[in-house]
Amino acid sequence: MTSDHEDTTTMAVDDGLDEISPMTLGLYYQRLFPHELYYKWLNYNAKTPTNDFTHREFSFTINGDVYLRYQSFTDGADFQRELQKLSPNKIDIGAIFTAQPKYAKTLQPGVFKAVSKELVFDIDMTDYDEVRTCCRGGDICNKCWKFMTVAMHILDKALREDFGFEKIMWVYSGRRGVHCWVCDERARKLDDTGRKAVAGYLTLIRGGAEQGRKVNLSQRAGSHPHVLRSMDIVEDYFEDIVLIDQEVLLTKERWTKILSALPDEELRKTLDARWSKNPDVSSVEKWSEMIDAIDKKASKRGSKFGLATFERDMMLQLIYPRLDENVTTHLGHLLKSPFCIHPKTGRVCTPIGADQFDSYDPMSVPTLSQLLREVNSSSSASQSNGANGSTLMSEHIAIFEKFVATLSPSTNEHTANGSGSGGGGGSLDF
Amino acid sequence: MFTQHAPRPLAASGLAASGAAAGGLKSGPPRLSLYTHPPDGEASVDELEAFALDRLQVLRAVEDAQLRGRGDDDVRRRIDAALERHLPSHSGRGGGAAARQAAAERRKDTVSHFVLRLAFSRSEDLRTWFVRQETALLRHRFRAADAADRAALLAAAHVPATPLPPAERDARLGPAAAAFYGAHEPVYAVAFERVPALVARAQAVVRAGVAYVAAADVAALAEAAFRDALAAALALCARALPQLGEDERLLPVLLSLGRQSARAEYQPTGAAGALTADAVAPLAAAAFPPCMRHLHAQLVHDRHLRHAGRLQLGLFLKAAGLPLADAMVFWRRAFAGLTDDQFQKAYAYNVRHSYGQEGRRANYTPYSCHRIITASPPGPGDHHGCPFRHHAPDRLRAALHADRLPDADVREIADLARAGHCQVACTRHLEARLAQRRQQPPPPDPAPVPPVTSPNQYLDLLLTDGRGARAEPAAAVLAGAP
Repeated sequence: MTSDHEDTTTMAVDDGLDEISPMTLGLYYQRLFPHELYYKWLNYNAKTPTNDFTHREFSFTINGDVYLRYQSFTDGADFQRELQKLSPNKIDIGAIFTAQPKYAKTLQPGVFKAVSKELVFDIDMTDYDEVRTCCRGGDICNKCWKFMTVAMHILDKALREDFGFEKIMWVYSGRRGVHCWVCDERARKLDDTGRKAVAGYLTLIRGGAEQGRKVNLSQRAGSHPHVLRSMDIVEDYFEDIVLIDQEVLLTKERWTKILSALPDEELRKTLDARWSKNPDVSSVEKWSEMIDAIDKKASKRGSKFGLATFERDMMLQLIYPRLDENVTTHLGHLLKSPFCIHPKTGRVCTPIGADQFDSYDPMSVPTLSQLLREVNSSSSASQSNGANGSTLMSEHIAIFEKFVATLSPSTNEHTANGSGSGGGGGSLDF
Repeated sequence: MFTQHAPRPLAASGLAASGAAAGGLKSGPPRLSLYTHPPDGEASVDELEAFALDRLQVLRAVEDAQLRGRGDDDVRRRIDAALERHLPSHSGRGGGAAARQAAAERRKDTVSHFVLRLAFSRSEDLRTWFVRQETALLRHRFRAADAADRAALLAAAHVPATPLPPAERDARLGPAAAAFYGAHEPVYAVAFERVPALVARAQAVVRAGVAYVAAADVAALAEAAFRDALAAALALCARALPQLGEDERLLPVLLSLGRQSARAEYQPTGAAGALTADAVAPLAAAAFPPCMRHLHAQLVHDRHLRHAGRLQLGLFLKAAGLPLADAMVFWRRAFAGLTDDQFQKAYAYNVRHSYGQEGRRANYTPYSCHRIITASPPGPGDHHGCPFRHHAPDRLRAALHADRLPDADVREIADLARAGHCQVACTRHLEARLAQRRQQPPPPDPAPVPPVTSPNQYLDLLLTDGRGARAEPAAAVLAGAP
């Protein structure tokens, strides 16, 4: 993804703060980015730099489309220095390797390998394009954001209850989705196969564009506790989101998509004929007509397999979270860092508190220009306070701080020996 | 058997390098083995080679059965036939001669496994193939084994000796567990990382990081242990292999064994000469396999294709003879909605990358059917994957009818696809298209079409009238295409 300068400069006013530029980003990284907490997070609260931090790959996107991979830093001060120097449009976080990534090119192939990383999930609103009717592509509104609310509830519960993970941080991706960082040591140590197992366990919607019915659970699969628990959550939100907000049965084009997955030719025709005659009936009513008709038919003997479970399967298909599996299953995959500025929207990628799934509003997240205006207008005396000087940032940083406080250093982790210029880091006060 | 060379201790011949530690075989190994200990004792090079060749026959039969077998029973029958012929294994009960025969059979089983380990450790592709076939073989043998043999294997794989009784299970998992496992089924409690395949398919309930494995799935535990241990051992083997360089007796044997793994990977035939950007569309209509034709059609329709689809189609075109310069033209035209700048920024790199011109500069090989079928399935908006695996039955049937295949063929292919035999279905599809092209009547004795294992092989076979290596240039075939 590349930033589109045209979009962001159209609103430019004299102070230049509306533009995402090396200058404005430089100010942000200097005054507002929570360096100290950020370092504590990726160093897992250890007193001295550990491999978790020093052997971690960072990638910077600078000047729009120059992509610098395999950056690594000896400690928090080193990181901060480089960040201010380069003022990247985007920071990506990669895996922890067997050696410091910045020396990757000097090592023999095969020696430099990814060994651990947080277990991450990426949910992107574009994957909901076939079930949402309000927006398309990169756009989101308060209606379709609710799909993210449901996704966070379902996945957070499964990760905690089923896999026993506790250190889970959700982050707004800055534009049209959410990221999840599972920071438990057991999660970080999973290999690709283990990550694939978790991702597969959490995936219920299968099938590409050529598959009308994307959820088709067997009797046994339908009785899996994860499915039952997810259905409890889905039932709380389904009518509001899918029927009332999205009106998924409102037009012929919309209901045809749903009916095409119904495994009964006769029902498909009857319902289509009835709705075509009276198309203005609400989706809530059409849905209940459809379910009544199915129930009547499914109770008869010899009804087609999958008819009785159609309601549950279709509810899941229309609202259950859609994961970008590649992001989760590859240890080496990079993911955009929290507290980046999204290059297109200018919004800060802020953490979402565990109690905020229903209340978090992506539209009210501060943008770079709002933040810089606030900093400019506040007294210059508080300059050295960094992020603490911003009231717009404070609540987001408080959530991050609370999360970071729960982390503890990895076991069996050697502290990094002070190779390179790490020794000089103490002089920089932050 | 005539021996060219004096027998020598197996441990010194390098086999010890393929196992953890040398262990005695005095009591004879059990019928099912995880092969944790290399054999000791003596064997001649000829014997090693003969044993290994026999085992290779079995492993190829295992692969073949899964590609061609119709239904579980048929797959089992095919593997059993190969085992009986090349690697029999009797219980040895009854003492005397029977026991001696069984001991010899076990020895052959163990020795052949370890020789092939060495031979197949050489490259990543060979290792992957070997692990997959050996695991399938173990699964097959486990299903056929008696209770005592199964118990011995599970113990060797460190599976907990006793499962949790249903009452304990329900206390931990709640009443929903009874519906999932059945009221009276005991379960094995293990860390979820140990049974990734079961977890990925939600075949087990996971609670607080513990997977509860049904007794019926317990073979998966042994399988996972075996697969992991074998993969790790092969990686170690690969490092030990150079030390064998001085042994001029064993090394040539190992090299030739590795080469005989048959279709580990598709090798571009290159006989078609270069494919041009302009020729892709007519070739797609005339000879692409269903997966690639579908991707191409979607690309034309949407003027876009998502990442996984681009890779699947792009590497196929590359192996079919499309040079980089033409690939650039092809993709640039296909993404007609983009500006040059957008295309250069977002897609040109990927095209060059897949031709080994960027990043790691690896020469990426085209996807095999196995990879397409088992890799991450298409999600919403995706068009990659295998139509026989990933398309809804009615869409598949519609596509088959659009190919103007006879109704009987459409029915048979759709049935095969529904039963999960995607590659068999694709092979039938190829046969039907060949028949279509030959027009009537078919040749008196049509040679059987080899099973389709890669989209490029399908293309080659269709272009060469089912005879493998491409002889006539693609252009000649295209001239006669409908």
